[in-house]
Amino acid sequence: MSEHTLSHTDEFKAGRALGLDHRKLGMWLFIASEVMFFGGLIATFLHYKYQLGFPEIASLDVFQVGLNTLILLTSSLTVVEALSAIRHGRGGRMAIFLLLTILLGVAFLSGQAYEFYKLYEEGITLTSGVFGSAFFTLTGFHGLHVLIGVVWAIVVLARGLRGAYTAEQNMGVEVFGLYWHFVDIVWIILFTIIYLIP
Amino acid sequence: MQEPATPSTKRSPRYAAIFLVLIALTLIELWVATAGLAGGWLSLILLSLAFGKAALVAAYYMHLHGDSRLYTTIFVLPVLLLVVFVLLSVVI
Amino acid sequence: MTTDTAKPTWRRYLWWNTDHKVIGVQYIVTSFIFFLLAGALAMLIRAELASPGPDFLSGEAYNQTMTNHGSMMLFLWILPVLAGFGNYLVPLMIGARDMAFPRLNALSFWLIPPAGLLMLASLFVGGADAGWTAYVPLSISGPPGQTLWALSVIILGTSSILGAINFITTTITMRAPGMTIWRLPLFVWGMLATSVLVLSATPVLATGLILVALDRTVGTHFFAVGSGGDPVLWQNLFWFYSHPAVYIMVLPAMGIISEVFPVFSRKPIFGYRMIALSSMAIAVLGLTVWAHHMFTSGMDPRLRVPYMVSSMVIAVPTGVKIFSWLATIWYGKLRLNAPMLFALGFISMFLIGGLTGIFLASIPVDLHVHDSYFVVAHLHFVLFGGSVSAVFAGLYYWFPKITGRMYDERVARFQFAVYFIGANLAYLPLFLAGLQGMPRRVADYAEMFTSVNQLSTIGSMILGFAVLPFLYNAIVSMARGPKADANPWNARTLEWKTSSPPPTHNFEQIPVVTEEPYAYGEDAAAGGPSPSPAAG
Repeated sequence: MSEHTLSHTDEFKAGRALGLDHRKLGMWLFIASEVMFFGGLIATFLHYKYQLGFPEIASLDVFQVGLNTLILLTSSLTVVEALSAIRHGRGGRMAIFLLLTILLGVAFLSGQAYEFYKLYEEGITLTSGVFGSAFFTLTGFHGLHVLIGVVWAIVVLARGLRGAYTAEQNMGVEVFGLYWHFVDIVWIILFTIIYLIP
Repeated sequence: MQEPATPSTKRSPRYAAIFLVLIALTLIELWVATAGLAGGWLSLILLSLAFGKAALVAAYYMHLHGDSRLYTTIFVLPVLLLVVFVLLSVVI
Repeated sequence: MTTDTAKPTWRRYLWWNTDHKVIGVQYIVTSFIFFLLAGALAMLIRAELASPGPDFLSGEAYNQTMTNHGSMMLFLWILPVLAGFGNYLVPLMIGARDMAFPRLNALSFWLIPPAGLLMLASLFVGGADAGWTAYVPLSISGPPGQTLWALSVIILGTSSILGAINFITTTITMRAPGMTIWRLPLFVWGMLATSVLVLSATPVLATGLILVALDRTVGTHFFAVGSGGDPVLWQNLFWFYSHPAVYIMVLPAMGIISEVFPVFSRKPIFGYRMIALSSMAIAVLGLTVWAHHMFTSGMDPRLRVPYMVSSMVIAVPTGVKIFSWLATIWYGKLRLNAPMLFALGFISMFLIGGLTGIFLASIPVDLHVHDSYFVVAHLHFVLFGGSVSAVFAGLYYWFPKITGRMYDERVARFQFAVYFIGANLAYLPLFLAGLQGMPRRVADYAEMFTSVNQLSTIGSMILGFAVLPFLYNAIVSMARGPKADANPWNARTLEWKTSSPPPTHNFEQIPVVTEEPYAYGEDAAAGGPSPSPAAG
């Protein structure tokens, strides 16, 4: 068993010659599949947007959501600063930035919950029509991804506080960061497609 | 020692600069979208701004800039496929 | 990693295990069980169609049987069995000790049994009856089983996405020293191309099915006809996955064939790079041709011709492969063992399926035979004559490696004969029925189609019988067959350079690769030793 685990590590030799870490590569491949997953949802939304016109878009609050967009963009900065901190061996600074990320993620989710609440008050719901279905499914799945990101950030923070990452060993933070930035990118696109384009 | 610690020893100020650009682009987007402009160009401008922001995040925050080209390929190809797919879904 | 080494060997196969070889066998055995179930459904369908008029299946029951036959064959048999081969073989073939993410790998497998049970359970609450294509609005208004069906396919899709991430990462990062890109065995190339397709296409299917499931459970309006829901959207989402899905199910099968031909012809494979690149070309083209399935669904006519052309272009890389295989056999020292027989069966039947596919891609023909039995025949020649033949070739070829024992060659050859006759008798008459206009997916048919249908029914019963000699052979040989040595076929890919069955860590010493995988020269035919360090 011990001999086996020992030899288990040299299996990555060939990959290391390429300078590729399998966890990072796996994350990028996962992101590629997520691109297509959101692609399906975006295609659905736009298909109906151009077929039905979606007059309901007028009741969306662009500025409130714009604020939410800024919050998510800021969280991307805090994530990348957290990674940069641990790469310099500054675990405390990383923890602070991760905590900020979690707070910003929660703020985004709260903003989204508020937005959903307002729309439900106006009678636009998941089942009120094609717009409601397409809108809440698309933004809801993005929100779900943010939620998963927040949970993941908490895990990374907890591991970080236990000293799991060092200036040399921080792939866990980096892979989490890739996920978080990707979710941010999705929102950048969704914001334009749903809220801005007439 | 899995990670070749090449990227980012003095990148930190650059992250903030990128952030400011992202914020500025977002404000421009909001202004363009609400200024009452009309026409097909508007969508094109807004989409370009969005893709520009996305590219900045991918290149600098996700470190595609300066990382293995393979990662860029893995990310960009499905995005292109997505654009084709979405365009067709709109046309059909 | 391997907390299980203390347990008796057989019990490892029944529980969570991260050894890729155990997982590979789990995949193969589980999917074979579903193959038997789906096959039983097929025989039920053929029995119903033995004479015109509804006999013992009502229209409703017929549709449920047909839907679950198709779905189980595709999602619970062909996809997982090929993933099983990939799991077992890819790490061995590239000289690695395991997959890149062993625990994720185990998870990919353990998603399959619950999804399979979900699909089986759906039969008892009013089974899905909208066909494996689940066209809306039929799939929205269908019985409750349709929701379970959708959930099941979503879970299976997730499993194959996770598997694809694992295969690509493993192939890129875990190759043994010297295993360059141009020394990868062609089966690994096939898995790589398939994984690219799975990653790009399966998430879109998941989206579509989530929308269907939401419509059915929550009451959203994506496909509700009254409020503007559009069936064409579903077709777009569905075929974006399901056209590539055909290649997902065929590319690894082609990889198996590319392994078998050189070994049993004692010649290097002809056009190695062309075969490898054509897999990639098929993957790329496969992603662009989905919309040809909607020729008859009112798509913009201006888009039709480009799609027709691209659908036909995809035949070119497939043709490259077929001619390369023929050139490999040409003047070879053929050994007609069961894997080779099935590989030859693959070529002949896949050729019929592929060529009739070109007919279907041509718009005027498609408008005529769309939704007729012509399509059914085409599909079965590609997926059964193609993929399933290749799976049997692979099962026989790697049987000694996986079990450490040889199968009975005479029984295997007998099984091939029954299988080949049964398959052709079952599917060839359907072309005729289709050209004469017999619509598919109907339990009843006009008198004029009786004789072709009876032929087909007889064929299908023979085909169903063909599985018995296989099961007998597999079970008896596993228990009492003669012990196989490390390399009974005298093959040169890395999986044969370790003992049969391989140890948990695959290789005593990671091999160093110094040559191409199919260097069968004169000396190799004579059984000369390979320069790489042999192990085990």
